[in-house]
Amino acid sequence: MTVASGPIAIPDSTEPTISLLRELRRGRAARQAGNVAFWIYLAVLIVVAYGGSLVAAAVRDLRHPPPPGAQAAHVLAAAPAALSGLALLLLLILLRDALWRGPVTLPQATVDWLLDTPVDRGRLLRPRFRLSAVLAVLAGAAVGIVPAAALVALGLGGRGAGDVLRRTGAAMLSTALLFGLATGAAGVIERYPASWRWLRRATPAAAAVTAGLAGLAAWAALGRPPAAVATVVLWSGPWGWAAQGTVAAAGGSAPLWPAATALLGAAALAALAAGYRAAAAVPGGALRSRAATLGAMSAAMLSMDTRSVATAYSSGAGTSRRARFRLRPPRRRELVLLWRDLLAVGRAPSRLAGAVALTWLAVGLMALAARSRHVSLVPVACALTLGYLAAAWLCEAARLDAEDVRRSAHLPFRFESLAWWHTAVPGLILLVAAGLPVTAASVAAGRPQYILLLVVTVPVLVAGAMVNVFRGDFPLDMFGGVDTPVGNTAALRMVFWAAWGPVLAVAPMTALLASALGSAQHGPLARAVIVGAGLAGGLAAYAARRARRLRAA
Amino acid sequence: MPPANPPALLVLDGISRRYGDRVALAHLDLTLASGQCVAVLGVNGSGKSTLLRIAAGRDTPTAGRVVYSGRLLTEDDLLVRTEIAVVGDMASSYPDLTVREHLLLVAVAHGAGRGAGELADRALAECRLADHGGALPGALSSGQLQALHLAAVLVRPRRLMVLDEPEQRLDPAARRWLAGLLQAEKRAGATVLMATHHAELAASVADHVLVLSDGAVIAAGTPDEALAQIR
Repeated sequence: MTVASGPIAIPDSTEPTISLLRELRRGRAARQAGNVAFWIYLAVLIVVAYGGSLVAAAVRDLRHPPPPGAQAAHVLAAAPAALSGLALLLLLILLRDALWRGPVTLPQATVDWLLDTPVDRGRLLRPRFRLSAVLAVLAGAAVGIVPAAALVALGLGGRGAGDVLRRTGAAMLSTALLFGLATGAAGVIERYPASWRWLRRATPAAAAVTAGLAGLAAWAALGRPPAAVATVVLWSGPWGWAAQGTVAAAGGSAPLWPAATALLGAAALAALAAGYRAAAAVPGGALRSRAATLGAMSAAMLSMDTRSVATAYSSGAGTSRRARFRLRPPRRRELVLLWRDLLAVGRAPSRLAGAVALTWLAVGLMALAARSRHVSLVPVACALTLGYLAAAWLCEAARLDAEDVRRSAHLPFRFESLAWWHTAVPGLILLVAAGLPVTAASVAAGRPQYILLLVVTVPVLVAGAMVNVFRGDFPLDMFGGVDTPVGNTAALRMVFWAAWGPVLAVAPMTALLASALGSAQHGPLARAVIVGAGLAGGLAAYAARRARRLRAA
Repeated sequence: MPPANPPALLVLDGISRRYGDRVALAHLDLTLASGQCVAVLGVNGSGKSTLLRIAAGRDTPTAGRVVYSGRLLTEDDLLVRTEIAVVGDMASSYPDLTVREHLLLVAVAHGAGRGAGELADRALAECRLADHGGALPGALSSGQLQALHLAAVLVRPRRLMVLDEPEQRLDPAARRWLAGLLQAEKRAGATVLMATHHAELAASVADHVLVLSDGAVIAAGTPDEALAQIR
C-alpha cells in the first residue's frame, strides 16, 4: 500500500466562513460590549460602595508617604530576594496556565463547529493569543501597583510625587513585561505537548527555588548575608530582572536596572513573537480538552461546587494520579482505613508538603503572638486558620468518600463512622509536624502547656475540616435566600455554608488559646483543654451526623 | 443435594417505592431462599434497580418491609455492609487506589488479615485482572472496572450478592465468563439477586425469574416459565 505524504489541495473556506460569522454575530458584539460595560459598572459600584473610603484613604496616604519606619531597612534588605521570589512564583503560575487553559483558548461552540472545518486555524487562534497577551500585559501592569504601593507605604525611595510615580512606573513596567514574557512562553508551551511534561517536572523545583528565595529574604531581613547574594539573585533570571526596577526605585542596590529591564523587555518581545507564531499550530486535541475543562469549571463555579472546580483543574492540568508510593497493608481491620489514608497522603506529596508548610507558618505566627504580654486575637485567629487549611489539605481520602458515597460500598463500616476514622491520619501528621517546633519552644521557654494546647487544638481543627468535608453538594435553593429588612440572606448563607467548619473550629479556639497563652494562671489553660476537647468531640460527632445525612440523601 | 425448603434469607413484603408522584415499585413481594438465584428482568425504568437498592439496604421502601435473616433491614443496619455484597451503580471506586489495593482494602476491612493478599490475587486471576493489579481505576476500561467490582465481591463475605446489571459493559466473551463465575458462586452456596437485560444470562444461572414493568411483576417463575409468559 502506498501512503501519500504531500499536501492535499483543499479550497480555502476561511474568508467566507469568517464573513458569515461576522454577519451572524453583528448584533451580538454590541450586546457583549453592553454586558462588559455593565460588569465594569457593577465592579466600580461595589468598589465605591464598599471600599470607597478605603481607596480614598490609600490614595491620600500614597500622595503623602510617611517617613521610613524602623522596619524600612529590613524590608529594603529583603526586597531583592522577596521580589525575585514573588516574580518567580507569578512566572510559574502563568506558565502552568499553559497546561490547562493556555493563552489560546477557544469557546466550546467554536471547537465543536469550526475546528473540524478547513478554516485556517491561524485566523481563529492568533486573535485569541493577541487578546490574551494584551490582557496579560495590562493585568501585569495592574499587579505591579501592589509592590509599589507597599514600598511607598513603608516610606522607601523618597517622598516626593515624582519618586512615588517613578517607583510605581518601574514596578508596573517590570510586571507587565514579566506577564508578557510568561504569556509568550505559555503560548509556545501550549503548542508543543512534549513540553508539558517538562513543565510539570520543573514545577516542584521552581517551587523549591521560590521557597529558597523566601528563606533568603528572611535571612536578609534578619541577618547580614553577603551583598553578592542579592546581586546573584537579581541576575539569576527574568524573575531577578523583573525585581531590579522596583528595588532601584525603592533605594536599594540595583545599579544596572535599566539593562535588566531592557533584557526583560527583549525576552518578553521574543517570547510574544514566538508565542504568536506558535499559536496557529496549537493541536486540536489541546484546544478541545481546554474548552471542555473551562466548560466544566464554569459549570462547577456557577453551582458553587468548589470540589468540581478543583477536579476539573487537576484533570485539565494533567496532574494525574500515580501509584508510586506503596505501603504494605495491615493485618488488623482496625488499621485498614489508616493505611488507606496514608496511601492517599503518600501519593500526593505536594499536598503533604503544603500542609506541613502551613503548619509551620501557623506555629510561627502563634509563637509571635505568644511573645507579647497581651495576646491579640487576630494573629491567633490567622494562625488557627492556617492550621485549619493544613488539616483540610490532608483530608483528601475523606473527601473522596464524601464525594461519592458508593466508593465505600464494600467496606463493613457505617458511613458516618468514616468521618471518625478519617480524622486519624491528618491529626497524627499535624501533631508530628507541629509537635517538633512546639516541643522545642516549650522546652526552651519552660512552658509545657504549649504541648497541651497543641494536643487539644489539632483534633478541633481536623474535626472542623471533617464538618466541611461531609457538607454535601451546594444547595442551589441557597441562591434565593430570604429577604429581611437588612437585605437578602443569600450571600451570608453561602459564606456560612462554605466556611461553617472553620468558623466552628477557629472562632472558639481563638478565644480559648488567646486567653490560655496570655495568662500564667492554670484556669485559662484548663478551660482551653477541657472546652477544646469537648469541641473536638462535638465537631467530630457533627461531621458524622452530616456524613449520615449525606449517605441518606 | 439442597434441602427441600431452604430457609428464607431475604423477604420483601409488600414493598412500594414512590418518588414524588411517580411509582417506581408497586406492592411487590419476593422471597429469596438461601442458595437461591433470582434474576429480575425488565426494560429501563421498570423498577429493577429500585428493587435491588431496597433489597441491598441502600434505599428505604415507601411502604412494606424488608426482612433479612429474620430481622428488619434498615439502611443503617451494619449487616447491610458486612453480609450483602453489591455490584453495579451501588458501588464505585477510589481514583487513587490501584486495583489490587482496592481488593486488599476490602479484604482486610472484612477481617481477612494475613490471607488478604492471597485472596486478592486469587480474585484478580478469577476476574481476569491479574495484569492490571497495579493499575489505577482511571486506566481501566469500563469492562475492567465492572470486573474490579466483581472481584471486590469475591474477597469479602457474601451471604447475599445483589448484582445490578453485572453484564453491563462486558463483551460477549466476558459475559460467558460472568455466567461461569455466577454458576460457581451458586454451587458454593451463594444467594444471588440480579437485575439483567440478558435473558440468556438469567436462564443460565437463575432458579427463579421475575419480570417487572412499571414497577409491577408481570411474569414470574422458572426461567422457562417467566420467559414464556412474556413472549
